[in-house]
Amino acid sequence: MAELTSTKLDFDSHLLLDQPLLRLPHELLRKNLKSAQRHIEIANKGIAASIQTLTTHSSPAETLAALDATLLKAQTLKRKLKALHAEEATLHRQQKARIAHLQELHDIPTIVDVKYDVWAQTRLDRLLVDYLLRQNYLASARQLAEAKGIVDLVDIPVFEECGRIEASLRGANGEYGDVREALGWCAENKQALKKIGSILEMELRLQQFIEMARTGEMDKLMEAIAHARKHFVGGQDTLYGLRAGGLLAHAPDTMVEPYKMMYAPTRYPYLAALFLRTHHTLFALPAHPLLHTAVSAGLSALKTPTCHSAHNPHRGMSSLQHSSDKTTSTMSRQSVPPLLTDTPVCPICSTELNELARGVPYAHHTKSYMEDDPVVLPNGRVFGRDRLRGLNVKLGVPEGRVRDPTDGLGGAEWGWGEVRKVFIL
Amino acid sequence: MDALLTAHNTLTTHANLSTTLTTVDHLIDLLQQTRDNIAGPPPNTTVSAPLQIAKLKGPIRQTFEKAEEDLKEVNKGLNGYQKAWKEKFKGKDGLGMEGSGESLGGGGGGVGLGLGAGSGGASGGLAGQKGLVERAIAMHLLREGEFHVASTFVKEVSAQSRSRNSDGIEEDHSWLDDFTTDSDNVDMEDEHLEDDYEDGELYAPEVMERGYLQRKFAEMYRILDALRNHHNLAPAIHWANVHSDELGARASNLEFELARLRFVELYTSPQPDPSTSDNPDPSFSGPIAALHYARTTFPSFHPRYTHEISALLGALAFSPSLPTSPYHTLFSQEPTRASIATLFTTSFTTLLALPSSPPLLTTTNAGALALPVLTKYSHILSRTRSSWTTSQELPVETPLPGSMNFHNIFVCPVSKEQGTEANWPVMLPCGHVLARESLEAHARGKGRCKCPYCPVEFRVEGGGKRVFI
Repeated sequence: MAELTSTKLDFDSHLLLDQPLLRLPHELLRKNLKSAQRHIEIANKGIAASIQTLTTHSSPAETLAALDATLLKAQTLKRKLKALHAEEATLHRQQKARIAHLQELHDIPTIVDVKYDVWAQTRLDRLLVDYLLRQNYLASARQLAEAKGIVDLVDIPVFEECGRIEASLRGANGEYGDVREALGWCAENKQALKKIGSILEMELRLQQFIEMARTGEMDKLMEAIAHARKHFVGGQDTLYGLRAGGLLAHAPDTMVEPYKMMYAPTRYPYLAALFLRTHHTLFALPAHPLLHTAVSAGLSALKTPTCHSAHNPHRGMSSLQHSSDKTTSTMSRQSVPPLLTDTPVCPICSTELNELARGVPYAHHTKSYMEDDPVVLPNGRVFGRDRLRGLNVKLGVPEGRVRDPTDGLGGAEWGWGEVRKVFIL
Repeated sequence: MDALLTAHNTLTTHANLSTTLTTVDHLIDLLQQTRDNIAGPPPNTTVSAPLQIAKLKGPIRQTFEKAEEDLKEVNKGLNGYQKAWKEKFKGKDGLGMEGSGESLGGGGGGVGLGLGAGSGGASGGLAGQKGLVERAIAMHLLREGEFHVASTFVKEVSAQSRSRNSDGIEEDHSWLDDFTTDSDNVDMEDEHLEDDYEDGELYAPEVMERGYLQRKFAEMYRILDALRNHHNLAPAIHWANVHSDELGARASNLEFELARLRFVELYTSPQPDPSTSDNPDPSFSGPIAALHYARTTFPSFHPRYTHEISALLGALAFSPSLPTSPYHTLFSQEPTRASIATLFTTSFTTLLALPSSPPLLTTTNAGALALPVLTKYSHILSRTRSSWTTSQELPVETPLPGSMNFHNIFVCPVSKEQGTEANWPVMLPCGHVLARESLEAHARGKGRCKCPYCPVEFRVEGGGKRVFI
């Protein structure tokens, strides 16, 4: 087993998992700024325009009225800016908390330090909340974040909004979804979407078109044509216009592909997935939950061929396996074979992760890793001599005799002379 | 890191929207003033209304220009932050995320590692095993003692799985049964919990399964809570007594340690014990009570712990001046209590056949250490446009600290391959260990062969003896 040559903490490579953490508030701040810019532009135009009209009116009452309107506009602008500023303050606070969290890592010199464990615990909690948010278990995520005090380190509002829009797209109980919320989101992020060349909005408009065409009524069809003229013309992609046109020619229960697929309700899950992907790209979120990445890397690094072998000393008939013997109540303590209490159970051999790790490649080693002074018992098991001796004393085996600790007091007994030294290079 | 902090501070101090707000305030004041002027006393209104308006245009334009400048400041601040961020994480585009020039670029490829040539990537494997991942998370939550979160989680998972099943997607959620309880509140103070499962035969296995894990962990936390916070050893001692057979089979010291701690407690905290009311001197009541306790419980520990017992009893003689006696180290309680708590947790989880420190935590830590190596390797691979051949084994070594070596590893010195189920280690009569395939290749066709590492010769009949590392 290749041991870490030093237990020094290499910060930069450690923070691989934490990059998206810092990025998200930054992206949100930028979005905030862009909204502020937009508001100011609109207000600017509005106020300048109304001032312009004022000069042509000479009557004081009209002037007053126009001035009042202008004042109202300015006050609205102020209100909006205030809201944005408050959000900005929240984002700043979150960003500060995250930087502080990562800063803590810099104060920890080695991996074996106790403080590292605390930091790693927080990191795991963060990854868990991130996973829960992505899988749409929003209540649990919020509860866990509050219980562990990491609300500032995770982005619950972002995922809540994302989940809401996605749910609206999927529709309730497999019925037809609703594209309106998603369109609203697109409008908010129009420039950003254009920058990445997203097809989301086009797809959503197409879906609206499909809904209109589905009814089959004449006036709805005219509306659909107008809608198509508005949205599908002038873009780079003429495909949408063509598809829309073709769709009109077919009834909703047509068998002709691809129109059948377009009419099918399975388009909604497709739209939901597309939205999710676009959303994550926009905010620089990784597509897979970070937990998956970390855990699969960890499983691989920890796994050995013994973990899933039949001769594994760490695994008994675990009473919590959900294999075919569920009916036989292996729940009682008696059926669990003795384990060696002094070695911690390998995480891969534990019930929680054993099945999960089956498909994962095992770790690569170039050197053997063995206890000191290995000896082999007549039944083939290898132990370090001192550890074997210690375990036998604990078991209460009389002097001069030795048992296999894996079998406990139920196994065979030998004399110490039968134990042979083995050489593992 | 400091650069990031300074950039951030710039943002909070002046590169934010507060300046814009003041500008807008200024604008409002301006408008208000003009309005008041126009609506005000007669000498001002008639003549200067258009004049006032005309006067407005200039300042309004200026105010808006200032606002835009303020916003530019904010933009600059944000850009500064982004630069500091890129500086810090430059080149560490791990996880397949390219840091692009624009802020809103950023491909979201999660695991660009492509682990496993044939199996479609480990992360793909994990993503396909949602049920198992969720079960691991639920068990982790229970271990951490977050019972409310765990029950919310289980509820949400079952709600989602129900709605998904109606879509016809099959997923394995049988583990949920282990976690749902008949009553949602696990009563932490219920003393009857212990009796419930003692007579396990009275309860049908199915009833036992429901909420089993949750109850077990609740019980563990209850006992731990009593141990740590209320200094009450009784539940722990009771549990240890109930399970003394299994603890003994695993060579665990828990029972004795608990008895010893109780002895120490009784010794050092003189409580007026009603059963020894005949003792007038209160300063001796502690040791007397301890002696009493020792008489009842220690004999059962006799063969194994004689030495420790005699040490404890010897301390009785020093009761008036304990701190100066040679025995005072035995009586410092706090570190002992903490170590007993750990020992209890370890024993409890071992009896449940679970590891004592949460496996998810260990795995994540190992992952954090292994990821840089793996990403670097995948970068090299993609650059040389090759791929690795084994899908069962990682292509590159991922060093981990010693605390994460849970198994012994055997690597054949001849073929440099790990011992597996297909290719197990065998021992030659001289004591050297090789992989089975290496031995077969070495002894191919010949009746007798020599060990590669020492001059011992031997006959190869059934191959070497299999050893279990």
